[in-house]
Amino acid sequence: MEAGGIAARATGGFWSDAKVERILGAVACIVLALIVGMIIFVFQKAWPSFAHNGLAWFGSGGDLDLQLEDIFASPANPADYVYTLRAWPLLWGTFAVTAGAVLIGAVFSLLAAIFIVEFAPARVNRVLEPVVRLLAAVPSVVYGLIGILVIVPWVGEHLISLEREESVANVVQLSGACLGVGVVILTVMIVPIMIAIVVDALRAVPRSWTEGAAALGVNRWRVMWTISVHTARPAVVAAAVLSTARALGEAIMLSMVAGSASFAPNPIDGLTFLFEPTRPLASALVENVEGLSVVPFGETLFAFAAVLLVSSMFLSLAGFAAKQSMRKYGVRP
Amino acid sequence: MNRNRPLAAAIALAVAASLAVAAPASAATITMSGSTSVAPLTTKLAKAFVNQPQYKGKVKFVILQGGSDIGITDVSRGRVTLGMSSRDPKPADPGGIVFNKVARDAVCVVTNSSNPIATLSQTQIQDIFSGRVRSWSQVPGANASGPIDLVVRTAASGTQDAFQNIFMGLTLRVAGSATTKASNGLQAQTIKSDPNAIGYASFSFTAGLHVVPYQGVPCTLRNAKSGQYAGTRNFYFVSRGAAKGVAKEFINFARNNPTAKRLVASDWVPLS
Repeated sequence: MEAGGIAARATGGFWSDAKVERILGAVACIVLALIVGMIIFVFQKAWPSFAHNGLAWFGSGGDLDLQLEDIFASPANPADYVYTLRAWPLLWGTFAVTAGAVLIGAVFSLLAAIFIVEFAPARVNRVLEPVVRLLAAVPSVVYGLIGILVIVPWVGEHLISLEREESVANVVQLSGACLGVGVVILTVMIVPIMIAIVVDALRAVPRSWTEGAAALGVNRWRVMWTISVHTARPAVVAAAVLSTARALGEAIMLSMVAGSASFAPNPIDGLTFLFEPTRPLASALVENVEGLSVVPFGETLFAFAAVLLVSSMFLSLAGFAAKQSMRKYGVRP
Repeated sequence: MNRNRPLAAAIALAVAASLAVAAPASAATITMSGSTSVAPLTTKLAKAFVNQPQYKGKVKFVILQGGSDIGITDVSRGRVTLGMSSRDPKPADPGGIVFNKVARDAVCVVTNSSNPIATLSQTQIQDIFSGRVRSWSQVPGANASGPIDLVVRTAASGTQDAFQNIFMGLTLRVAGSATTKASNGLQAQTIKSDPNAIGYASFSFTAGLHVVPYQGVPCTLRNAKSGQYAGTRNFYFVSRGAAKGVAKEFINFARNNPTAKRLVASDWVPLS
C-alpha cells in the first residue's frame, strides 16, 4: 500500500510531474515577462528626456537643481515642456560614492576575512561572525539616522574649518553632510556582505594546498596571501560586484548624509573634495518623487531610473562573469 | 480538490465581510489624498463634519497623504473625491480640476536657535536666499559667523512653491548651492544641527528653531490671522470639475460653518 501510494504520487494525481513542470515554467515566464515589461516601460517613459537633450544629458553645465525646478514649472502645453538637463553631477556623485565605498570596503573586508579564517582564535570567531551577519541585516535608514543625528553635525563642527568653508562659499556649502561621510557609512553598510563572501571563498580553498605550502616552511601570512587569496581572487571580485549593486541602489541613507545638493565634488579641491556635498542618482529619484505628476518632470525621473537600471544590468553581467571564473577554480560563490 | 476547500471558504468569508462593511451603502464616502501639510486640518474638519446632525451615519471619510502633487494627480484621474493641495495651481497641472480654497497657512523663515535674528526684510531674505549675500557678517543682528548655509526643499514641495511665491517673487531664484531636503523633518533636523543654517517652514513645523520675524512682524498665528504677517499661503481641496454632492457640502462646511472656522483657527488661518 505504501509503495502504491508513492507510485501514485510519482505518476499521477493533481500534482503530477508534468503539471508541476508546466506551472513552474509559467511562473518563470511571468518573472521574465515582468522584467522585460519593466525595462520597456521605464525606457518608454524616459525617452523624451533623453531625446530632448541628446548626449548632453550625460554632460555637465548649469545648475542641476535649478534645471529640475524649471522642468517642474513647465507650461501646460506639451509642445512647451522643458526638458533641459545636464545630469553629470548625479552621475559623478553616484560613481564617486560607490567607487570610494567599494574600494575601501574591498581592502578592509579582505583583511578582515583573512583574520577570521586564519588568525582569529575560535573564541573571537564565535562572536565576530554573528556580529558581521547582524551588521549586514541593519536597514539602511538606521545608518542614515545615526549619520544625520551624530556624524554629520560632528563633522560639520570639528572637521570643517571656517577657512575651508569660506574658500568655497561662493560655489557650494560645506555643512558636514558630504561625500566623505556618505562613503564612510556606505562602506560600513557593504563591508559585512563582502566579508561573508570572501570568508566563504577562503574557507573553500583546498586544505592540501595551504598545508603543502606550510610544510615547506612558509609562514601563515605568506600562505594566506600567495595561495588562499590568489585562489579566491574571483570571490573578491564577486563580493565587489555584489556590494557595488547594493551601493548603487542606496538612496535613503545617502540622501540623508551625503549633502542633498546636486553638486559634482571636485577632486582638484584637495581635501575639501571629501567635504563637498553630492547627490547620487537613486537619492535624486526618491527626493523628487513627489513631483511625478508633472509630465516632463516624471519623464526626467524615469530617465534617472533608466540609467540606474542599465548600470545594474551591467553589474549583474559582471557578477555572472566573475562567478563563472570562480567555478573554474572549484570555488563555490 | 479537498485541499482547496479552506481557501475557498476564506475567500467567501472575505467577500461576505467586505459586503458587510459596505452594507450601510447609503453612507456616501469621501476619499481624499494629497499634501501632508493639509492632512491634519482635513482630519479635524472631517471629524466635525460627520458629527453634524444631518450627516451623522451618512458620510464616511478615507484620508490618505502623499504630497500636493499626488493629491492633484489622484483627483484628476478620478481616484479620489477630493485632493489636498498646499500649493497654488500651476500651468502644467492636469486640465479640468478646480482648486477650492479652504484655509491659509503661515510660512516662516527659520534659523538655528543659536542665531536669533531680530528681523529680516523681504530684500534681505531675497539677498540671502538668492546667494547675493553669502556671509552672516553681512546680515545685521546675526549671531552666527561665516558662510550662510541655505537649507531648502526640493522642487516638488508645496512649501518650496509657497516660499518662492511669497518671498522671492517671479524672477529671483534660490541659489543653486542650497541644500535641498525632501521632507519637512529632514530640513528641520539639518537646521537644528547647523548653527549657520537658514531655511523656511510651515508654522506647524517650527518647533525647536528660531522663527525670524518678517518685516518686523513675528511669524505667529495671531499675526497671520490679523493679516499683519504677510507670509501666508493657501490650502486647497481640489475637485474634478466643480465639486458636487457631499463633497461640495464638505467644502462649504469647511469654509463657512462656525465650528469648522473654529477648528481652522486652532492651528491655521481661516479665510476672511
